[in-house]
Order: sequence, then C-alpha cells, then structure tokens
Amino acid sequence: MAKGFFTDTTVCIGCKACEVACKQWNQLPDDGFVFTGMSYDNTVHLGASTWRHVSFIERPVPLAGQITGYGQFSWLMMSDVCKHCVKAGCLEACPTGAIVRTEFESVFVQQDVCNGCGYCVVACPFGVIDRREDDGRAWKCTLCYDRQKEGLVPACAKACPTESIQFGELDELKSKARERVEQLHARGMTDAYLYGADAAGQPGTEGLNAFFLLVDEPQVYNLPPAPTAPNKKIRASWASMAGAAAALGVAAVASVLSGRLSR
Amino acid sequence: MTTVADMADGKIKGYFVMGENPTVGSMHGALQRKGLRQLEWLVVRDLSLVETAEFWRDAPEIERKEVAPEDIATEVFFFPCAAHTEKDGTFTNTQRLLQWHHKAVEPPGDARSELHFMFHLGRRLKDLYKDSTDAKDRPVQELAWDYPTKGPTGEPNAEAVLKEINGFFVADDQVVQSFTELKDDGSTATGCWAYSGCYAEGVNQTARKKPAGEQSWVAPEWGWAWPANRRILYNRASADPQGRPWSERKRYVWWNEDESRWEGHDAPDYIADRPPSYRPDEDARGIDTIAGTDPFMMQADGKGWLFAPSGLLDGPLPAHYEPQESVLENPLYRQQSNPARMEWKRRDNPYNRPFDDPRFPYVVTTYRLTEHHTAGGMSRWLSWLSELQPEMFCEVSPELARDRGLVNGEWATISTARGEIEARVLVTERMRPLKMKRRVIHQIGLPYHWGSKGLVKGDAANELISFVADPNTSIQESKALTANIAPGRRSR
Repeated sequence: MAKGFFTDTTVCIGCKACEVACKQWNQLPDDGFVFTGMSYDNTVHLGASTWRHVSFIERPVPLAGQITGYGQFSWLMMSDVCKHCVKAGCLEACPTGAIVRTEFESVFVQQDVCNGCGYCVVACPFGVIDRREDDGRAWKCTLCYDRQKEGLVPACAKACPTESIQFGELDELKSKARERVEQLHARGMTDAYLYGADAAGQPGTEGLNAFFLLVDEPQVYNLPPAPTAPNKKIRASWASMAGAAAALGVAAVASVLSGRLSR
Repeated sequence: MTTVADMADGKIKGYFVMGENPTVGSMHGALQRKGLRQLEWLVVRDLSLVETAEFWRDAPEIERKEVAPEDIATEVFFFPCAAHTEKDGTFTNTQRLLQWHHKAVEPPGDARSELHFMFHLGRRLKDLYKDSTDAKDRPVQELAWDYPTKGPTGEPNAEAVLKEINGFFVADDQVVQSFTELKDDGSTATGCWAYSGCYAEGVNQTARKKPAGEQSWVAPEWGWAWPANRRILYNRASADPQGRPWSERKRYVWWNEDESRWEGHDAPDYIADRPPSYRPDEDARGIDTIAGTDPFMMQADGKGWLFAPSGLLDGPLPAHYEPQESVLENPLYRQQSNPARMEWKRRDNPYNRPFDDPRFPYVVTTYRLTEHHTAGGMSRWLSWLSELQPEMFCEVSPELARDRGLVNGEWATISTARGEIEARVLVTERMRPLKMKRRVIHQIGLPYHWGSKGLVKGDAANELISFVADPNTSIQESKALTANIAPGRRSR
C-alpha cells in the first residue's frame, strides 16, 4: 500500500511543530544554536539531524486572490521533507543495499547496513540525505516506518495543527490535492499547483511520494525545478562518453597518420 | 507591580515564585531585581535555575559591577519542581475550561509538585505552632489540613483537593452538585464557589474525555468549565428575542415552548423557566427585573453595555489614548494618556517623555514567538526549541536599518530611560514604517524570551520597560513604548 505525505503550504503557519515532533520521536540531535538572520528560519535546510524543515520565504509579491495591508509582500511557509521519490537516486546509488523500498513504498535507510560511503548524498537531486559527522552514516526521514508498522500516523503529520501535512494512501492524497488546487483556483489563488504529484509532471523522479502544493516557482522554496535521478542521465552520460572516446580515437589515428605523412 | 515596588522599598520580607520568572518575563527587570535584593528570603520553584533564582550572581547590574553578590542579604531557596507530566492536577485556560492531567511518570530526584510543597509546608507550619497559646495563632492551629497522601514522597491526593474546592455538606461530607446548593449558614463549605460542580455526583468532571464524535459539537463532556460547565456566558443571546436560534446552523440554546424551559447544546446561561414573553412589573426587585429578552443578566438592566456608567474606572465610553510613552501627541484628544492609569513615579522607574522625546524617537513593541514559552523556563533549556530561535533579536524595517546603519544578522543596542539591551538585527519588510501627521514613524519589534541562563542566552526585552498599568485590571500598559536603536553591542 503506497503511503505518503501531501504538504499543502497554503495552510502552513510556520509553527515548526513538525520539526520538533520529528526530532523528539526520532531522538535527533540539535543542529547547533545559530541565528541566521533569514526570517524565522534558523535550521536552514534538511540534513542528517533535521528531517522536517520549515522554510520562511519573505517575497516582494502579494498572494494572489488576497487583499492585505502589506501591498507587494507575502510571507510563505513550507514544511520540507524527504520526497520518497518513485525513482530514488539515493536508493539506486547505494552499493550495500542499505537503502530499500519498504512495503509502504517509502525509501528507508537500514542503519545497521549503511557503511557511510556517501554515494547516496550526491545522488539525491534534492540534497535531502546527509551523513552525520559523528558516525559517518547517512540519515534521513524514514516516513516514520516504525510508527507506520504500528498503524500510527508519522509524528510530523500528527503534530501539524492545521493539516498542512497530510498523511495517507497516495491515491487518496492525490485526488484530495487536486481538489484543493481547484478550490484555490476558484478563490483566485490561480498560482497554486502541485509539485511532484505524478510522473508526468516530474519525469526525473517519476513522481514523489511526498508531494507539495506550492504557490510560486519551486526555486522560491529552495526546490529544484526539474529534479532528476542520476540514473536517468546514464544513457546520455554513456552516449557522450562513447562520443568522446570515438572522437579521441579518431584524433589519435589522425595524428599518427598525419605524423607519418609529414615524415 | 505594587508588590515589587513595596519589595524595593523594603516593606516585604519574603516572596514565593512558582513557575514564573519575573526578572525576564515581567516589566523592568532592574526594578524586579532591586525588589529581590531587599527581601529576607526568596523561594523559587522551577524546572531549572532560572534567572529569578540566580539574580544575586548573574544579572546586568552585577556584570557592570554596580552591585556585588556579597552585599545581597536575601536568602534564596530553590526547589526543583515536577512538570505537568509528573503530577496529577488541572489546567485552567482562559476560556474557563478545567482539564485534568494524570501523572505519567514520577518526578526525578527531589522534584515535587506545587501541591506537595504547599501541603507539607502547611503541615510543618501547623507543627511549629501546635503548642502556641497566643490567640493570633489559632487560625493556623484550627486550619483543617489533612489531605490523604500516597506514595513514598507523601504526594497529596489531588482529587481530594479538587473535591474540597467543589464544596460539600459539612454534616455528611457529600459533595454539592452546583453553587446553587451552597448556603451562608455554615452547613456547606467550598474552596471556590465558581468551581462548584467540578466534582458533581462525586465524579471528577474535569477528567472527562469523551470523543468529539460521541457528543454534540459543543463537547460539554470534555473537561469541565466554570461556572456550571457553561462554555459560553450569556448564551441566551444566541437566540432571538422570541427564543429561536438566530442561525439554525449555529443553534446553541433555545426556548422549548412545550416544556416551558431553556435548553440547548450548552448549559443555558439564563433563568431556566423564564419565557421570552416575560416582562417585569413596575415594582419588580432583583432578578425579577430581567425581561425575557434580556440575556445579560449579571448587568442591572440585563443588556450588553457599550456605554458603561459604572464599573469601569476609565468609562463610560472607550476613547483613544496614547500609551505612557509615545512618539506622537494624541491626534484625537487633548488628553495625551489615560488619566486613570497607574503610574509609579519613583527614581528607579524613570519614564521617557510622553511624546517627542528626542532621545527616544522610535516605537517599540514586545511579543512572543511560537518557539519559546513566555520567560523561557520551559523552552530555553530544550535543544529542540532552542535551535529554532537561538538568540535575542530585534525586527526592523529596511528603511530604519538604512537610517540607523543596522546590518541584518549583526548587533544593535536598544535603549530607554530604564536601560539598554543588545540584540541581533533581523531586517524584514514585515515591519512597516507608519506615516502619521506627515511624519514617518519607525517601529522596532522585540520578542522577550531570553535571559542570562539556559542553552541559548540573550538580553531580556523587559529590561527596557517601565512600571505603568491599566486602571481596571492593573495589567501592564507598556506594551508599546519609545526607545532608541543604534548599531553595535551595548556597553559593558
């Protein structure tokens, strides 16, 4: 049964309850106490010890369909998480089989198998998975595999007070999400769209099991506009490598021939 | 504020501080600490050594060497306290709802509940006074202080205390069902009349947790609300003069013609059998003067009041006053500030000028962040919350940052007549300069959660704020005030 997250950023209030609930359930360490000066965001990005991260985006654009006293300004909040890609770069790159796909279709790192090689880190098109400095192993969101095994909702979704983070069966979530987009469009929020809801919209990952409703371009939320699993580029890579090899061969032969001719 | 001013004047010997941290969370930290320095003893009960418990060795005036710890005679007692998960009891929130919480784990080490502390303190006091023959000690000797205890630490039974607060008949110890059963002839006793009914039928009503799906949307069987488990006061106003719900969708209470009584999803806040058609006689007295169409039955005329000729100290109508310290002359009235406000005119509580103080040209307001809890005693010691908001900061507009040379992420010093603090600068368009009377007015936003203790530290915004209070409730009036801001760290 494929399960995942639908994160509707339009109802996120930036309370960070998801971040704290995630850290508490998974007993993750803090990221250090550093004031960044970037709005209310002091944990900055997802990493080995931050598996939910709330972005705060202050942008000089008003929210479509709303009239506020703020004029050319709006404050976007978005709770980011591992996307559990249908075609997961990290899983494909893992040489030890530590990263597996679970019965819930989520992407899970088996910590007792991971050898800390770090191939997954560079293979993730979102920069999600990361190695912990103290033990060298790679860590990321488990989609609360342990809670799911017990029939519980993941900690972040459970803690979310506005249902910005929804957990459930992906088919249901997707139809709910499409309805929500239509509803927002009808209200004048015409820039609302789904990010990663299916393979058609995001061929590089073949769709995300944790997808999002956004109201601005992905880059605004620090998300890649066209994320692609490295294996998707393999054909092109080998093709260009083969081309380069052939060209080198031709050049070598040509230089030998030209050398003989000139002798 | 009155108590702390009396403390600073040496009129008070001892002070109990339980689960509060006034040197960070209350206005004018310097005056708070001056008060603490004049005490003979101070008791602080908290989860960790908060700034109030450490005022004698870790405070701005000690850092500046204006006060030396060895000159402070106050004896400080610190008691570690049990968290809400480590004790039985109730929360009462501002919507009057009492919700029982059960102890999940034993408190660690010497940590004990406030109930434990108060009970055993009372028990020991009674023991100290038991042989006294002085008439003034009789109240202590006669005090009934015999709650059942349990467990190795002698924790009092919190339900027994709640039951006593509910009230009972003295003769047979049976609980009263509601405050209407209380008598003024000594036959009943209660801890607080408004809470009567919280233990009705001998059941802890505050511990009810019936799921939403098994009761009406008002959820009257979730916890218990004072008074009489009434969730909305004056709820007769949810029905029209004829007693029919104004909105079918939101029907709340209504007049049942067949049974000649008020009923609804909530306990009707009205005379149960008074029909909407009732009109008082000319010579009616007391509650009989309330017509069947008057929902506000605690008011003399049963009406909701905008014009309040009695009760309010600054009535009868709302008016616009500038705060104690403003950048502007009151644009609406000649009266600058609320004439009935409470001021503390003393050398240790200096005020900025009422308006146009050239030293303090900017508006400051203080507020909370979701990541921290008030004075920080429950959040600054937790890594998962501290990393989310790790430092004291001030929020300013790009325009003010440009005017004053403030740089995002660097330091600024904010000052008033009371003192100065330093904070990281957060430049944001959420702060907007205001245009008033052809002037541009800049605002500075200050969260107030930090102090000198905990995992994350910072100056407390309340160092800047004066003692001044609203006349009706004595609540802090200084939510908006004036200050100056400059780049760089404060003097040391």
